Amino acid sequence: MEQSNDIDVLDRQLRDAAPYIDDAGFTRKVLQQLPARRPSLQRFRATILLGATLVASLIAYLLSDGGRFISDGVVRMARMSPLMILLIAGIVGALVMGVGVVAAVSKNHELRS
Amino acid sequence: MELTDADLVARVLVDEDQHAFSELVRRHQSSVRGLLRQLTRTDFALADDLAQDAFLRAYKHIRSFRGEARFSTWLYRIAYNVFREDARRRKELVGIDEDVLQAEQDPQTVDPGLRHDLMHALNLLPLHERSAVLLCCQNGLSHDEASRVLDIPLGTVKTNVLRGREKLKRTLVAWEKN
Repeated sequence: MEQSNDIDVLDRQLRDAAPYIDDAGFTRKVLQQLPARRPSLQRFRATILLGATLVASLIAYLLSDGGRFISDGVVRMARMSPLMILLIAGIVGALVMGVGVVAAVSKNHELRS
Repeated sequence: MELTDADLVARVLVDEDQHAFSELVRRHQSSVRGLLRQLTRTDFALADDLAQDAFLRAYKHIRSFRGEARFSTWLYRIAYNVFREDARRRKELVGIDEDVLQAEQDPQTVDPGLRHDLMHALNLLPLHERSAVLLCCQNGLSHDEASRVLDIPLGTVKTNVLRGREKLKRTLVAWEKN
């Protein structure tokens, strides 16, 4: 029992004898030596998606007789009742929010796993 | 809410988030540098160089951290390997720098005389006992964790800690009598 007390005292003295070492620029020095970040996979993925969207938009524009479908759509929207426009806006809003929530949850899982 | 080490490691892994890594360095720099200072027999400049190497190596190999052990344990293992490789290269360890040791003492925490004695007594231990005592008694690692850090069998760690403690006690008692 006395021996175990001695051990506890010695361990405590050893822990107390280890002073906290002030950072004093140590972390900054380490960071300066870190290798440069590689272009991340996510940025690469985003570039591909953006490029594909632009190409698809261009093809749609050319195939739709110079984007006539847009002016047709605007005319059709103008003829709709305010209630219908509100309904469409609500559905689109809910869809965007759903996609946002799914993205946030999947990112959270990615970080936790 | 403060992020855990595991959260920060995840950020480094997913986004190569250097800000998250800097937080890990800030959290563990004192214990890693402290351990290396003791292992190098208080050669502070060498210890800090080795600590930098250890953190850089940790960043480069962070994918090998599986989260089975604590991040600090994994870090100690890297630091110990860096120290061992350097010691092997140098073939000798440098002596004690008394002036710098004196400057590091913090009178608020422990009797300066005792700390001085403890540091001296620690430095008199052979490396295998000193490292085991430092990890288990000073840094609070379990014998199992220390055996992983030092890459030696569990029984050897226990023996080294026991012998190291005994020698420390004997040295301190002898100095007290004188």
